Amino acid sequence: MNRTGLPFLLPMLVLSLAGFLVPLALLGVFSLVDTSGAPTLDNYRRLFADPFILSVLVDTLGLGAKVVALTTLIALPIVLLYWHAGPRMRRVIVFLTLLPMLTSNVVRTFAWIVILGRLGPISQAMVELGFFPAPRSLLFNETALVVVLAQIELPLLVLPVIAVMTRSDGSLAAAAATLGAGPWRVLSTILLPMMAPGILAGWVLVFAGATTSYVTQSVIGGARLIYLPQFVYREVGVLFQWPSAAAAAFVLLAATSVVMLAMTAASRHPRLAGHA
Amino acid sequence: MTSRPFSRRQFTAGLASLPALGLLSPGSVRAAGSVVAASFPNAWEDAYRKIVAPLVQAQGTELVVAPALAQDQLAKLLANPSKPPFDALLMSPGQTAEAASRGLIEKIDPSRLKNWGKLAAAARTEYGPNVTVEINGIAYNPSLVPKPAGYKDLFENRAYDGKVAWIGFGSNTATMAWVEIAKLYGGSEDDMAPVFKLLASHLPKIGAIANNGSQQMTMFQQGEIAVFMASTGNVARLKSLGVPCEFVHPASGSPSVPVTIHLAKGAANPQGVYQYMDAAISADAQAKLALPPTEMIPTNADVPLPPGIKAFVSDEQMKTLVYPDWAKINAKRAAWTAEFDRVVRK
Repeated sequence: MNRTGLPFLLPMLVLSLAGFLVPLALLGVFSLVDTSGAPTLDNYRRLFADPFILSVLVDTLGLGAKVVALTTLIALPIVLLYWHAGPRMRRVIVFLTLLPMLTSNVVRTFAWIVILGRLGPISQAMVELGFFPAPRSLLFNETALVVVLAQIELPLLVLPVIAVMTRSDGSLAAAAATLGAGPWRVLSTILLPMMAPGILAGWVLVFAGATTSYVTQSVIGGARLIYLPQFVYREVGVLFQWPSAAAAAFVLLAATSVVMLAMTAASRHPRLAGHA
Repeated sequence: MTSRPFSRRQFTAGLASLPALGLLSPGSVRAAGSVVAASFPNAWEDAYRKIVAPLVQAQGTELVVAPALAQDQLAKLLANPSKPPFDALLMSPGQTAEAASRGLIEKIDPSRLKNWGKLAAAARTEYGPNVTVEINGIAYNPSLVPKPAGYKDLFENRAYDGKVAWIGFGSNTATMAWVEIAKLYGGSEDDMAPVFKLLASHLPKIGAIANNGSQQMTMFQQGEIAVFMASTGNVARLKSLGVPCEFVHPASGSPSVPVTIHLAKGAANPQGVYQYMDAAISADAQAKLALPPTEMIPTNADVPLPPGIKAFVSDEQMKTLVYPDWAKINAKRAAWTAEFDRVVRK
């Protein structure tokens, strides 16, 4: 690092240390003591011995994986459209991708309550088309939650992939097509490998956002779908079990970190990083 | 490009000025002569900001109203008991008992409250004045469901299938309803087994299980649900928004709960808290709070019950109010909360 740049980094480093690492360390200490302050591993033992909590952990990671999958399915056509579009259309796509990010996550989540509600446009349309005999709520199930989280997290996947694609050599796809490769072959052998670093970076962000999104999980999923953020909140806010909540928070941190580290490691692989 | 030299001394001076600007010291955001008072979100928060804050301001103290549910207030106090985030708290007996037993609130000196003598005798507690009594029952949308006769009706009458929302034991309103339901089905304040059995068998017919009362009110507004356990204040709020909503006193009696202002132990401005307490129990404030949209039952004996409140609760119904035994409930509340999650989880 350039020595002259260090003073400019210091405020951020101090803020990170004071606002993130120190509280995290305190949380770590909380997770390793009992309510009387004596050191113990019981908080972790209890978590892993309770099938209910384990299933909550599995569901949380499963939710992240489902949101990543759906977000990818929606994001890739958008990126391909961007790839083939002219400058004006590209600006429109980037603007429309960024637009939802200009409103808060809470507002977007509450907008979905209206859309998926019993009296919302989807339910009404289904009744009119004869698919539902009566208006029906589409909220409070995991499918709805995955759809909502995919919409909320979509920019986090689209933007890194677009950033990678704009730096890529566009003539490669044209050259492949000239040499006789069909559209699917161009997609699978040229475009997808070019997108791979951006996709993996986006997956890390989407996965982290989906697994930790307390507001969306609780508002769209309701209280019958329990994921680790709600479990941690309940342990702290209702049961006042700080040691147990701290241990659960660390398990969530460790579980999401492992998945994200795996994705980050994959993105550095020479083939996926586009250096093969 | 030319770069302007930036000396180490200049940088250090800049960094040193941050605390002076209040950027590195969270405590300094609290202005001198102010009181941070926790209040329940939405209706309470709005009303206290509009009605009580100006009365406190008139005495030279700024009232900062911080929205937080009673259970959240307790959790935040427990997180930092030596430097409480609130000077004054707003709690019901369930949380008051916890806060007192953990030494988080202080007994007050009534002689410092000018309006103390105006309070009804039952509203004077050693840990602070009761500012209202919340009467709880069943809220329903008359355009979607018939008027419920009581809690049993909600489980046994098919007209309510898919229309009722419930919440777990984190909420006082819900906890009181579950206690009453337990009694109706053979349980008691310390035996919730019949409730969990009933819940497990009734789950497919439940409209929704929400995380908190505010979420239930949002669902009610959106037509997602037509019935939820509510206080008269919740119903008054929804009515003021034009939502078709009526209040029913359960046949078994309406669980009721006083709401009390407490002085947090270690509060930065105890004198300001007394000014706030006095303003909140003054006839001026309570007369306004008794009107729509809050319609809080006054505890100041000088304030007559306005017609709006009389429509919610008659003198006869006042006699059948039920006051739960919070000591018994608190002893098992954590276990019930955990059990509820396990029973309702999909």
